[in-house]
Parts: sequence; structure tokens; C-alpha cells
Amino acid sequence: MTLPDIALQVLQVLGVLLLAPLLQGFIQKAEERVQRSRGPSIFQPYRDLWKLFHKECVVPDSASWIYWIAPVIAFTAMLIVPLLIPVLTDRPLPLSNMGDILGGGMVLTLGSFAIILAGLDSGNVYGGIGSSRTAMLGILAEPTLILVLVGISLLAKAMLPFVVNHLLLGSLSVYWSPAHIFLVLAFFVLLLVETDRLPIHSSTHFEIYMIDEARILEYSGPLLALLRWASMMKQFILYTIFCNVFFLPWGLSQLGTPFGQAGAITSLLLKFLLVALLVVIVETTQSRLRFYRYQELLATGFLLAVLAIVSSQLIGGR
Amino acid sequence: MFLSHITSLQASIFSSLAILSLLLTFVMLGSHWLRNYVYAFAVQSWLIAILSACVAYFGGFPELYVIAVLTALLRGLVLPYLLIRIVDRLNVKREIHTVLQSSSSMVLGALAVIFAYVIANHINQEMLPAAHIVVLALTVMLSMKLLGFLMLSVRDEAISQILGLLVLENGVFLGSQILVPGMPLLIEIVILFDLLIVVACFGMLVRYLVVHAGTTSSRQLNRLVG
Repeated sequence: MTLPDIALQVLQVLGVLLLAPLLQGFIQKAEERVQRSRGPSIFQPYRDLWKLFHKECVVPDSASWIYWIAPVIAFTAMLIVPLLIPVLTDRPLPLSNMGDILGGGMVLTLGSFAIILAGLDSGNVYGGIGSSRTAMLGILAEPTLILVLVGISLLAKAMLPFVVNHLLLGSLSVYWSPAHIFLVLAFFVLLLVETDRLPIHSSTHFEIYMIDEARILEYSGPLLALLRWASMMKQFILYTIFCNVFFLPWGLSQLGTPFGQAGAITSLLLKFLLVALLVVIVETTQSRLRFYRYQELLATGFLLAVLAIVSSQLIGGR
Repeated sequence: MFLSHITSLQASIFSSLAILSLLLTFVMLGSHWLRNYVYAFAVQSWLIAILSACVAYFGGFPELYVIAVLTALLRGLVLPYLLIRIVDRLNVKREIHTVLQSSSSMVLGALAVIFAYVIANHINQEMLPAAHIVVLALTVMLSMKLLGFLMLSVRDEAISQILGLLVLENGVFLGSQILVPGMPLLIEIVILFDLLIVVACFGMLVRYLVVHAGTTSSRQLNRLVG
């Protein structure tokens, strides 16, 4: 028995929506375990969200309508992206032709842009700092992102993430080609930068180190819950792109049976376990870079992407 | 020429070794620590030795085995040991006053690789199965030369300048191993021992610098002393 395509698409979005806090919880737990403390339960992010949704909303006097609309835009953007990428099913489903890889990247950036505006909106000092820092990081990270996407499109000769997935599944020689390995490394750098991880972002919550959290300091209650959930979903989506499109293209459901979907969810969680452990290793071994040394890490990512494009042109005949 | 009937397995082994050595050059370009340069250089030399051994095995050049062993011993062990000794004695751990920040030199390096690729594409005259590996070897060779020049020109410390020279030489050696593997054995041995002499001379020069100028940075040497 195969599920109808619409149900499969709804399952993709629901999977991202419901499993995102679990990933966050697992990373937090693993980091604490590495540092030999016990750490919160891996279900703690769910409890935090539940608690925040039952609190009242305190709105600063200086806030305008942007303050209200930004969390909704961010949350909605994160609900749109799973439609476009292979989360559980490896073939295009209804509405997945709305956008290609670049379109997905644009929608992801739109969410973060809305939060930048919200950080500036209330006139709080820390909000301004957070927004300006995020904008600078965006300026440094965006060229690499575009180059990585262009590189993978050149490799697959198509702009659709599904095609890339099939290409990597089909041919091991492409998977092990230098171009693809460089792309994986470059995207890993981006993954660390975009999901608030260590060489860039601090794990301790002091205002002076904050980048992404500083933008949402003014929020409380359900709106804060929406923003937190949106950032967890962004992390989950980037992990999904990293695993299913770049790094580990195996283990997606092909037919769309309920059993296959369950298997796809299991394999997705296993893959994320692996990537999350890699991220935890990086977080434990690296110290935070100074603000004016951010570009070193991002220049490395940029360089890897350029090398990937050059070597994909070399091996382009295959 | 043995490249004209190369199989895809051999091509992928050669290309991954060449690309890894190029990546290690970027490690040297991006790092601040002198010790890291030396380690990266040692690993790069080992990779080139493995490459020589592969060319010897696949192409049927038995004398290249000797070259591979000598490369691993001299470039992979002796030169790094001598360099580490110089670094330890000088008590200089990192490159502080660079002309270019490491991120800008990385981006410049990426541009150099693209430039090298364009030139390699023009030089190449082989037909398709061999063309990939020829263009790749030429690209890696030219870009390692350009990166070596870049290191020579943007770094001040004497040790980084030796390493810039050695990287430049490694690039030429790597390219020659893939493109013209039949070079006479004697010439290759002479080149290897020349390198040893280069490092020994630089060691003397660095000591002279420390004694007479009180520094190992070439930045202090741009004033004429009558």
C-alpha cells in the first residue's frame, strides 16, 4: 500500500516540525555528556516550548507591527522549505516544483531577514548589535552558500535537490570525486555557521557574545516559542540538506509505503546522530574565534567551494 | 606516454593525491603557526612519495621506486626534522606581522587556482581520457607554484620563506612525476640533495640573521646599513 502523494508531503513537513526539538535536545545532551556532566533530557526543548506557549506575552512600548509579524514569517518560511527538499521521500511531491535549490536557500534567508528586522525594530541596544552581527555573518556566508549550490548544480546538471540525491545514489565515482568531497566540506563549514555552533557562535549565554539570540532578547511567551521553534527547524532543515543532498544520500523512502516512511524517519535520525556527533566534536575541540577572525573560517569555506567548482569542471566529462 | 592509456581507477588515485597536496598547500597558506606549516609540508611530501610509487607501479618505471623512497625519507623526514629544529631554536612560534591576513591570502589563493586552471586548459594537447589527469596535474603544479610565490611574498618570517620555496619545488616535482615520469634518476637525486643544501644554507642564514640583526623577520632588513 502506498500513501497518496499529498499525505507524503504533509508527513515531510510534520516530520521537520515535530522532530526538530529532538535534534536540538540531543545535541545539548551530547555536549554536556562530553563535558562529563549529566545534561538535560533530550526532550527538554519540547518542555521549554510547552512552557513558553503557556506564558503571557510582554510587548515593549517601542515595538511596531514588525515585532508581531517577524516570528510568523520566520516560522512559515521554515514550514515552506521542507516541501522543496527530500526529507523522507526521494522524489518530487506536490508543490515541490515551487522552487529549486536556490529558491529554498532564499526562503531560508527570508526567515532570518525577518528576525534581523525584528531585532532592529524595538530599539533595544542588544537587538541592534545582534542584527548587525548577523548581517555581517550573512554577508560573509552567503557567497559560499551560493557557490556551493552552483557547484552541486554543475555536478548534477540540474537545480533540483532530488536530482542531486539520485545522482549521488547512482554513482559512487561521483560520490568520491574531489568536487563532491570539497562541496561536503564547504557545506559543513556553512552548517556550523548557520546553526549557531562554536567557532563562530558562543555556547555561553552572555549578551556580549550573543549573535542570534541577541536579536530575540525582547521577545517573550508564545512569540519567543515560535522563534525558538523556527531556529530549531532551521537547524533540522540544514541537517536534512547536508545529509540527504550532500553527505549521506542513502535511506530515503522510494515507494512511499507507511513502512518505508517509518524506515526513512529512522535512517534520518541515525544520520543526524552521526552528523550531530561530528558537530559536538568540533564544538568541544574548537574555541570561539574573535569577531575579526570570522572571515578566516568563512574564507576556508569559500575556498573549498571554489576548488569544488574548478575540479567539477575538470571531471565534468563523467 | 603512459597517460594515454590510463584507467579510471588510476586516474582517480592520481587526482585525489594531487588534490590532497593542493589542499595541504592551502593549510600552509591559512595557518598562523610555523609548526603547522612544517607538518603540512611533511604530509605533502609523503603524499608525493606515494604518488611516485603509484606511477612506478602503474607505469612500469622501476627506478621511480627509488625516487619515492628517497622523497619520503628526505622531504618527508629529514627536511621537516631540520625545519622543526630551527623553529624550536629560534623560539618563534607564529607568524605575527603578515602583509595579508590569512583569509585574504586564501581568497587570493583560490583566484590563483582558477588562473592556473585556465592556463592548464590552454596548454593541454591530450585527447579525452588522458586530458583530465593532464589538466589536473598541470593545474595543481601551476597553482602550487603560484601559492609558493604568494607565501614567499606575503610572509616575513625566514622559516615561512624557506617553506614557500619548498612548496614551489614540491609543486614542480609533483607535476613532473605525473607528466614526464621518465626523467633520469640521477637528475632527480641531484634535485633532492640540492634541497637539503638549500635548507642547510637557510639554517645558517637564519642564525646569521639572529646574531647580526637580532630578528628572523625579513621586514627588519629593508633598511640600508652603510
